[in-house]
Amino acid sequence: MTVRIRFFAGFRELFGADIVTDMSAGMTLISLVTTQTKKNPVGYAAIFDEKGAFREFVILMKNSKRIDIADAAITPVSDGDEIAVFPPVAGG
Amino acid sequence: MISIQTEDVDIGALINASKRYGTGAVVVFNGVVRDDDITEMELEAYEDVATQELALIAKDATEQFRLLHVDIIHRIGRLKVGENILIIVVAAGHREEAYAGSRFIIEGIKAGVPIWKKELTKEGGRWVPGEHGHGTRKTS
Repeated sequence: MTVRIRFFAGFRELFGADIVTDMSAGMTLISLVTTQTKKNPVGYAAIFDEKGAFREFVILMKNSKRIDIADAAITPVSDGDEIAVFPPVAGG
Repeated sequence: MISIQTEDVDIGALINASKRYGTGAVVVFNGVVRDDDITEMELEAYEDVATQELALIAKDATEQFRLLHVDIIHRIGRLKVGENILIIVVAAGHREEAYAGSRFIIEGIKAGVPIWKKELTKEGGRWVPGEHGHGTRKTS
């Protein structure tokens, strides 16, 4: 099973534009992002707090739909999904 | 036209093309790179999603304010001070709808469309903080 995690703005500078990775069955949005970002302590600390929860400003999307960070632990990730992780937007 | 692009546009041509039967007012919003002691600005978008969301904002504005025409062009890439960042052209029967529709669109973009700006300075760069964005955390 393969998923793509995309990063934007400051998070892109920390992790690169995307990570395409194999994943095991049964992963959730938070377990996937945790696993893939923990290798980069500075980047991890930008996204997660000391308790391992998403920082409140982090915005998540799964297949172009926003996912509330409070639902990240109950949101399953499936083969082919595109996950996006980004800081607050500032267009206009 | 709804577009995220690197190229600039001819605003005059957009205004002329926006006029159709029933148009009584055209409002243009033109966001530009402000000289805040920066050398340039770098803009980045989650392009597929941002384009979809701009189209949805335009549709909502059209329905809510009875707009006759909407263009939204948001530029990305590296822009110099004074260059156009965002052009919104709204045509309506009357000025009230045109002003309100234009305001609705810019506020919708600010609130959630995945686009980011980095101000480049002689010392380096700084990401412009968002006005709204939160991943939220439900309390219930």
